[in-house]
Amino acid sequence: MKGVHKVVDVLGLGLHSLVVHKVRSALTVVGILFGVWSVIAMLAINEGLSREAQRTLRELGSDNIIIDSVKPPAGEAKAGEQQWGIMHYGLTRQDVVRLRDNIPDVVRCVITHRTLKKAYSNGRIGDVSVIATEPTYADVSRIDMLAGRFFRPDDLLRAKPHCVLTRSLAEAFFVCDDPLGKVLRIGGQPFVVVGIIRQLPAALAVGSGSDVGNHVLVPISADRMRFGKFTVMFGQGGSTFEKVEISQIILQMKDEESVINGSAVARNLLGRYHEKRDYEIRVPIEEIEAMRKNRRLWTLMFTAIAAVSLLVGGIGIMNIMLASVTERTREIGIRRALGAKKRDIVVQFLIEAVSLTALGGLLGIAVGIVVPWAVEQILGVMTVVTAMTMLLPLVMAAAVGLISGLYPAIRAAKLDPIAALRHE
Amino acid sequence: MSALVHLDDVWKIYQMGSAGVPALCGIDLDISEGEYVAIMGPSGSGKSTMLNLLGCLDRPTRGRYSLGDRDVSSLDDDELSQIRGERVGFIFQSFNLIPQLTVLQNIEVPLFYRGVPRHDRHPRSRELARLVALSDRVDHKPAELSGGQMQRVAIARALANDPLMLLADEPTGNLDSATGSEILTLFDQLHDRGRTIVMVTHEDFVAAHASRAIQLLDGRIESDRRN
Ligand SMILES: Nc1ncnc2c1ncn2[C@@H]1O[C@H](COP(=O)(O)OP(=O)(O)OP(=O)(O)O)[C@@H](O)[C@H]1O
Ligand SMILES: [Mg+2]
Repeated sequence: MKGVHKVVDVLGLGLHSLVVHKVRSALTVVGILFGVWSVIAMLAINEGLSREAQRTLRELGSDNIIIDSVKPPAGEAKAGEQQWGIMHYGLTRQDVVRLRDNIPDVVRCVITHRTLKKAYSNGRIGDVSVIATEPTYADVSRIDMLAGRFFRPDDLLRAKPHCVLTRSLAEAFFVCDDPLGKVLRIGGQPFVVVGIIRQLPAALAVGSGSDVGNHVLVPISADRMRFGKFTVMFGQGGSTFEKVEISQIILQMKDEESVINGSAVARNLLGRYHEKRDYEIRVPIEEIEAMRKNRRLWTLMFTAIAAVSLLVGGIGIMNIMLASVTERTREIGIRRALGAKKRDIVVQFLIEAVSLTALGGLLGIAVGIVVPWAVEQILGVMTVVTAMTMLLPLVMAAAVGLISGLYPAIRAAKLDPIAALRHE
Repeated sequence: MSALVHLDDVWKIYQMGSAGVPALCGIDLDISEGEYVAIMGPSGSGKSTMLNLLGCLDRPTRGRYSLGDRDVSSLDDDELSQIRGERVGFIFQSFNLIPQLTVLQNIEVPLFYRGVPRHDRHPRSRELARLVALSDRVDHKPAELSGGQMQRVAIARALANDPLMLLADEPTGNLDSATGSEILTLFDQLHDRGRTIVMVTHEDFVAAHASRAIQLLDGRIESDRRN
């Protein structure tokens, strides 16, 4: 019972001193407030940038190895396999089997066959890039469906004439109509539109000779059934014909490490069986690494700024606390002469420091939530306030507040009461 | 009658670098309950040092000191704090009130450290304020009081825990003679009611109020007279 009284009393004493020293208390609170909110806001902006970067990274597909067929350089073209004026190059089904069998940790293997064709519907005509592929393409490319669906294993099996359009093509051919269920004639053959996607991921569209917007995806079986196993591409000037069996192989790997191993095996393997450089291996992980490095740099910078602002805030708080204790040395002496133990003095100053820190910290969190929100509204930059980014500055501020309050208090309590009483 | 204060060959030696400066040299002294003692002597003779020892603000370098029924010469810091709070009431030349507290709150400080609950502190501090004739100033801050009023607050504060003795170091040193005699009258009244008072002073007419006068010289008791 006596203990409870004492706690309430000591608390009252600490809080009373705060009310009495209004300016000093206000300054300390403001110091902590600024330290905390600026750090929360800084970390929130950094976290937002980080999330945006992560999304881009995911779109790039960090676990993919992408192998494209490319027309061999002009010098080697002569040596290329030419039969009846048709140039034959690129990846083959045999390559797919070899890659799949020899590279460890392949999760999925998807092939595409890409051609340029004329498409028309509703009296509108245009060039489209036709990507004939498998249903799993949707998984490895992580494309967003805007409407309808991607084609299914069943569509592939029965070679259904279904197609999925990019949004820009859907708008070009069907304007305001709902394209789903409508027929688009591709290379003269009718295909039913079953789905619409935003666009092809840039990483996969590279080398397709077209921008990311004008793509039609069809089941590879339907493509082969209607346009033949080897599609003849009309080369520049129409003087040569080109035969490409497979335009792109996408190997989705177990993890990033297997991407690095796998790309080395693929390079080795393809080098052995291809006389010409008629393929290109791309590993987005390299671009991703560059991007990560960049991101780490930013995080480092933000953290450094945050640390400096906390440090400056901390020094400010420490300065005020030290001044306050020095200024009140005589008071400490008086209290000691009147029966206060060292512990009583320390506790009094500790309560003052804790209250100020808590108040400043809570206000700092409030402002630290509002400011990133305002930044997001005004500048359109994504910001993310997490429990971690709120806790960190709070804990640091609390530590700074306590140490800077406690250290001078302990020093003052240790002072000889007679000397403290003489202090002017 | 047993002595309230018993000093037995007490030395206080301040260490200044390698040399020891003796401030008190082998003091033997008994003070009984109800005595009013004036400690006199030239500047630097050790008066304040002796008062600080009596008030347990300091420990003797050598010798024994018992206050009431306890030997206090070898207590630790916390125990000394407790003794100061419960058995001693200090009155200083420069009042030493806490500036941000009101009269009432200043009087309550020793009660607070003794652990007296809030609802018991208020009536006690009001009663003490009335005793020193400051009932109409209880909510004032020290800066709003005259020197005499401040010293009366200090006396009320010194009495708060009903100590074994009051210790006053030149209590009238900062006051004009009229106000000073007002304070001395208050001391006389307290003494008449049985308070033990030990007071340091330079002035003979101040010492004349006391029942006993001790002359210090160079840390030794030169004379000890009863009036
Ligand atoms: N903290 C200290 N360190 C070293 N020497 C001290 C200390 N305090 C007091 N002294 C010395 O002890 C001696 C006695 O000092 P004290 O303060 O007791 O004198 P006093 O009789 O109260 O003098 P005054 O009348 O001027 O107040 C002096 O020589 C003084 O210099
Ligand atoms: Mg003195």
